[in-house]
Amino acid sequence: MLSRVASHLYWMSRYLERAENMARILDVTQSIAMLDPSADSGGAMTPIVITETAEEFAATGLPATYANVVAFLAWDRFHPSSIRNCIESTRENARAVRGSITSEMWENINDTWIAFQETARNTDPLMTGNDFFEWVKERSHLFRGVTFATARRDQPYHFTRLGTFLERADNTARILNVKYAQEAPDDFQERSDDQADYYRLSAVLRSVSALEAYRDTYRDTIEARRVAEIMIFDAKLPRSLRFCMDETTTVLDLLPKDSGRIPRRIASEINARLRYGTVDEVLSYGLKRYIADFLHDMMRLGEAVNTSFMDGR
Amino acid sequence: MSIAMHAIKMPPGHHYDEMLIPSSTNEISTREHYRNYFQWLNSSPEQTLTQRRAQADLLFRRIGITFTVYGEEGGTERLIPSDVIPRVITADEWDYLERGLTQRVHAINCFLADIYHDQKILKANLIPSEQILGNAQFQTKMIGVNVPHNVYVSITGVDIVRNNDGKYYVLEDNLRVPSGVSYMLMNRKMMMRLFPELFLQQSVRPVEHYPSLLLQTLREASTIDNPTVALLTPGRYNSAYFEHTFLAQQMGIELVEGQDLFVKDDYVYMRTTTGPQRVDVMYRRLDDVFLDPLAFRPDSALGVPGLFEAYRKGNIVICNAIGTGVADDKSIYPYVPEMIKFYLGEEPILNNVPTYQCRKPDELSYVLANLKDLVVKEVHGAGGYGMLVGPASTESERETFAAVVKANPSNYIAQPTLALSSCPCFVDAGIAPRHIDLRPFVLTGREVRMVPGGLTRVALKEGSLVVNSSQGGGTKDTWVLGA
Repeated sequence: MLSRVASHLYWMSRYLERAENMARILDVTQSIAMLDPSADSGGAMTPIVITETAEEFAATGLPATYANVVAFLAWDRFHPSSIRNCIESTRENARAVRGSITSEMWENINDTWIAFQETARNTDPLMTGNDFFEWVKERSHLFRGVTFATARRDQPYHFTRLGTFLERADNTARILNVKYAQEAPDDFQERSDDQADYYRLSAVLRSVSALEAYRDTYRDTIEARRVAEIMIFDAKLPRSLRFCMDETTTVLDLLPKDSGRIPRRIASEINARLRYGTVDEVLSYGLKRYIADFLHDMMRLGEAVNTSFMDGR
Repeated sequence: MSIAMHAIKMPPGHHYDEMLIPSSTNEISTREHYRNYFQWLNSSPEQTLTQRRAQADLLFRRIGITFTVYGEEGGTERLIPSDVIPRVITADEWDYLERGLTQRVHAINCFLADIYHDQKILKANLIPSEQILGNAQFQTKMIGVNVPHNVYVSITGVDIVRNNDGKYYVLEDNLRVPSGVSYMLMNRKMMMRLFPELFLQQSVRPVEHYPSLLLQTLREASTIDNPTVALLTPGRYNSAYFEHTFLAQQMGIELVEGQDLFVKDDYVYMRTTTGPQRVDVMYRRLDDVFLDPLAFRPDSALGVPGLFEAYRKGNIVICNAIGTGVADDKSIYPYVPEMIKFYLGEEPILNNVPTYQCRKPDELSYVLANLKDLVVKEVHGAGGYGMLVGPASTESERETFAAVVKANPSNYIAQPTLALSSCPCFVDAGIAPRHIDLRPFVLTGREVRMVPGGLTRVALKEGSLVVNSSQGGGTKDTWVLGA
């Protein structure tokens, strides 16, 4: 399989996953903002902090209101990770390799792109609502479903999945980092009776589709420690770090063994820490440090994937 | 037979229409081979065509069967309009075309092998040497290079038109990177999906096996067993990118860009996820000059450095061969009948259009005096750009064009304006005649192969003779009836 094709497939699914995650983050931010519209604009800036785009947003010169942040992250043409550009990039990457994916996959992406342009023409960015985020998530779900149902389980499929899980792990870690590690008190005391905290934590869970899973698992009130545990270590939750890295190591084992030695080693190291770690260790080490380490390792993994499979030397 | 449901606009009397025979009365009669279709048309409610055309448009857009238009901002993706009324060709006529095409392409391959080796045809003074040796499309680097089996042109897309005398004429031989075959295949797929009842009614010869014939042809171009074949594309901003992806997928071969390839020790390799993999045959959809920055245009980022040297040494086969453009140049076109006689000792089966060569002073003065009745074309032009259609031009356009021709006469040829047959098309105004041409695709491997028919292109503007997709042309399905 061509290295360039592997790269397009990998980025195709990374961009779509990124669009979905952006929609999730904005959706949750919106619902928090609705709880207390009078609150300061700090909450509105959270998506900017998560996506590390403070500088780009400042360059627009717009006040940090919720509406402006959404308009920027969803629609901005110059912000490379706006939902608009993620969908464009997904479709461009898919178009570059449309012969290597099933026609159903291509038609689904192309449909999304065509419908998105229609929506873009008819939407005031400042009035973007929940229905738009739902639509983005749904299109992403549909594409994964089409892929699952139509693609042969060979290299193109594996590279598509690799992109999905690396992007998703990165995103979950970033949400944890900002919504939790940075906004939580330093000494990490439980404050489960605090109502504001309840909404904040449940919003975090919802952003990774983990609220129901949390209730099923703990059958108890929402506590900060358990939120960290389920998002990092739960082996069955599709957006937890553990799940994403289980999938990543599985996929890497299915890719050519010789060229994939280094990414397999890095992924297995990360995975081992998730398999055999506990939330108490993480908290005593410091959640912020732990997440920073994780993101750094993920960056190394991304680079190794690129060098091993996509450089073609 | 009278028209029950559909209002059909008749072609002007002096046109040859593929379906309808004009008459002085209000009666419309159809040619024999259109009887079945016509009956079906008359028994279908008026909305049928409208509904199914809407379905077709939706499918084409969704599948993304597009081409890119140059010169618009950022290269816009557009759909090629696909008409829902088929163009029908009889078994006998196709048999004639097939024999003529086989002969013509065979002679052209002999010609190319000759001019890059012994140049017998020049020594025999049948073509002036300077016409070949001074031609921009003649690749001096190809002199003495041996091409396996002497097949220079593996894939040809010959443009054929029918004049109002009812005869077919070859308009041009596209010997470089002819495109359009994917539209031929998609048109058929769409028609079978939208009008299954029509295919049950009569025998239409299939075309769907074209990709497998193409793959067979490409494999036969190599001298080794089980060669690795790849399709080289300029990339997704090329106007024919859809076709490149489509053909590569249908043949199950890799679609490569220049950046995916490298040359080591005069062999060509693809960069793959498991390391380098040798390429033995390359179906290139990239013009000669972009293939190798070391051998041709140094600023080409689309090609592969060192490719020509690997090719020269016989370590890779490139289809079509480098330097075939010299034979489809419009200044060489008038000599094709001579080639057929010279190399094959046969009389040409297919007609050439009479052609005036502006490089000859007496023919130039004739052309300038008769611009109003002629079509004037650049000898290297393609895609309907840089041409003057005399009867459709204004006086000031003719004056401007005359000045351009006079400044560089050898760059132009002229031909009488062929009437181009028409075929009823389903357009916004209803069913109305539009001018069409035909591009059959001829494959040359160990033998010459083609699928029956080809791509029928339609000039969608009323009265227009320009069928190129870049100029607002459309396409329609082409049916060759079973014998």
